[in-house]
Amino acid sequence: MILDLHAHTDASDDSRAPIEGYLKWLRKKRDLVPIDGIVLTEHRQWNPDVDYRDLEDRYEIVILRGAEVETDYGHILLYGVNDEMTARFDFSDVHLDAQTVVSEVEKLGGIAAPCHPGRPTIGLCEHYEHKAPLEGVLAVEALNGGSRRGENERVGQLMGAFGYKGFGGSDAHLVSLIGICATEFERDIRDVDDLVRELREGSYRAVDFREQVRAARG
Amino acid sequence: MTSQRDEPASIADLDFGDDLRPLRLTLEPEQIAEYVHSANQVAPRFLSDEGGQQDGLPGQIAPGNLSLAIFSRLLEQAAPGAQVQKISATFRAFVRPAVAMIASGVVTDVEDRDGGKLFECDLMLETEIGDRLVTGTGTVFVAL
Repeated sequence: MILDLHAHTDASDDSRAPIEGYLKWLRKKRDLVPIDGIVLTEHRQWNPDVDYRDLEDRYEIVILRGAEVETDYGHILLYGVNDEMTARFDFSDVHLDAQTVVSEVEKLGGIAAPCHPGRPTIGLCEHYEHKAPLEGVLAVEALNGGSRRGENERVGQLMGAFGYKGFGGSDAHLVSLIGICATEFERDIRDVDDLVRELREGSYRAVDFREQVRAARG
Repeated sequence: MTSQRDEPASIADLDFGDDLRPLRLTLEPEQIAEYVHSANQVAPRFLSDEGGQQDGLPGQIAPGNLSLAIFSRLLEQAAPGAQVQKISATFRAFVRPAVAMIASGVVTDVEDRDGGKLFECDLMLETEIGDRLVTGTGTVFVAL
């Protein structure tokens, strides 16, 4: 099963993509981006009232939600967000303490995974050059669809050095970029609990569809 | 601006998921300077490498408005005479002179409207080696 673990709808301030735009695109482009589901990770926010079940049924695409928060070690994706987590952390705070986020999110039933680690300033690699490594990180975003040349390549060294698992996400902010990088899981994922369990304990790998999309566009 | 484009094709012939005809271009330093004078947007960082470096930048850069103008030209090329209703953009990296770039777009929604069609497009300005500089969207109404 293939999920794009990192995407932003127009609920995020820098995205232009409506959720239904993503779903129409994936339905139309399934031969190029064979994605079974997406995880929406809006910047610095969590809206408890959003319900995408109708859209899931209509488009037959799994839609899960997480969040992307900002910390002193760069940006971190949160999966398994719940009321306790949102009570514990102010997601809009751009200076969250990364170690606290990683440790507490795990205790509260989720998983915190640094994204685009190879990116300057907001990626984990640069912070590890002059700060102690975080404890309790299990996985990082090994493949980010928005990364510039060299950024994803740095992550391989990080994973090797610290034994992190790697997953992939498009980091889409435009409709046509959804699913270009994603994660292939060995087991099926139907809800956020499945996702957290598989990210913690399961078998998965980052998958890259950018080249075939590029080739199709000529 | 040196640019290369194929013969115009009507956007009305395009459908959801189709690509707009790309625009290949390279901005010359003098053209950026000329643009900012015309746009009454004169600032040292838009005029020369020295001016940009004084602002802590790698050198001369193009103003955001010029990137929007490139998107506008891309849409106009795809839909000559159509009404460009809206362009939005996110500036991800500096647009600099003497860099070969490609402006591209793809149709992400088509709606029938009174007297025509409304097209939503994703837009992208990137270097020839694939570094994204500016991303955005455009809305175009084509009377039929």
